[in-house]
Amino acid sequence: MSSAALETFLARLYTDSAALARFDADPAGEARRAGLSVQECDALVRSDTIGLRMAAVGFGRKRAQHREHRKPLHHRLLDRLFRR
Amino acid sequence: MNRGDRVGIGWRAPLAASIYSHLDRIDLIELVADDHFRASRRQLRALRTLAGQVPMTLHGVTAGLASISPPEERRLARMARLVEAVQPVSWSEHLAFVRAGGIEIGHLAAPPRTEAGVEAASRNIRRAAMIVGAMPAMENIATLVDPPASTLDEARWVSGILEESGAPLLLDLHNLYANAVNFGTEPAVLLLRMPLHRVTTVHLSGGHWIPEPGSSGRQRLLDDHVHDVPPEVFALLTALAARAPQPLDVILERDGAFPAFPCLLAQLDAARAALAAGRRQAMQLREVA
Repeated sequence: MSSAALETFLARLYTDSAALARFDADPAGEARRAGLSVQECDALVRSDTIGLRMAAVGFGRKRAQHREHRKPLHHRLLDRLFRR
Repeated sequence: MNRGDRVGIGWRAPLAASIYSHLDRIDLIELVADDHFRASRRQLRALRTLAGQVPMTLHGVTAGLASISPPEERRLARMARLVEAVQPVSWSEHLAFVRAGGIEIGHLAAPPRTEAGVEAASRNIRRAAMIVGAMPAMENIATLVDPPASTLDEARWVSGILEESGAPLLLDLHNLYANAVNFGTEPAVLLLRMPLHRVTTVHLSGGHWIPEPGSSGRQRLLDDHVHDVPPEVFALLTALAARAPQPLDVILERDGAFPAFPCLLAQLDAARAALAAGRRQAMQLREVA
């Protein structure tokens, strides 16, 4: 019960708020539509959904930090100056 | 503190000048390897010079070696180039997956902890060791979510991977502490269930409590590297030093909200004191036995 499809499904939940909302509304259906095994679908239905949401928010913040970090220094300074 | 223990700090650009001027109080430094994958030859020479002045370890963050899928070889090749150029005393990576199906998560995610995952991670680690030319120490990560579809608990999963791959453990004590308090385990109990004989390196850091969504009023501890090391984590370091007789390299990780440098030096001193207390406890236990 640990497949590439399951990791891909989790990666999508962590990066796509619409996918996470669909999962929240219908966990079994979303897991089934992603082609996961019966055991994986069952495990996801029983999963720590609060933790999934918290992790998704945390990863989103990290991605935003990385994007900021990759900007040229003068862009970052202008952003700070004009609070963009 | 026994003769082999070393205490150091993660190299960060805003801290560079202060670290450099306090090398008499810093036994080793840790560089985030991925920040230097595109370094020029001149920059690599500068890193090699630095590694000649103070023991240096390289820390990778994007290989995703605990994925069910194989790691990207080009990333491992970059690590190999850096290790070859800088000649660190060791290198390390995380027990995490960071991408899947072409989706970049952007940070370290906990994969499902399963027997199949143990096998895949062990294979990935051995492959990384072959390409880089040295076995990485593997770090336990903090997670806000109990990894879905897991069939093993964290300690069994970590132990399985390290036994099968032969990798040493980089034990992040704040990650361990956060996972324990977030998922209802006593931190000291979780520590004792980890493969402590495999620990070569220790990370210390801090975090803060964040509320769970909804109206439960509950909180989870977020490992953020921008707060001081809490006393509970120093206590875990003492407990570790009492039970792991091998020399330990202890690294303080601080990524932001940098306090005045003496505050960081004080945390290094506290780590040394915690190690010494643990070593004393071990000696007393041996005397009693």
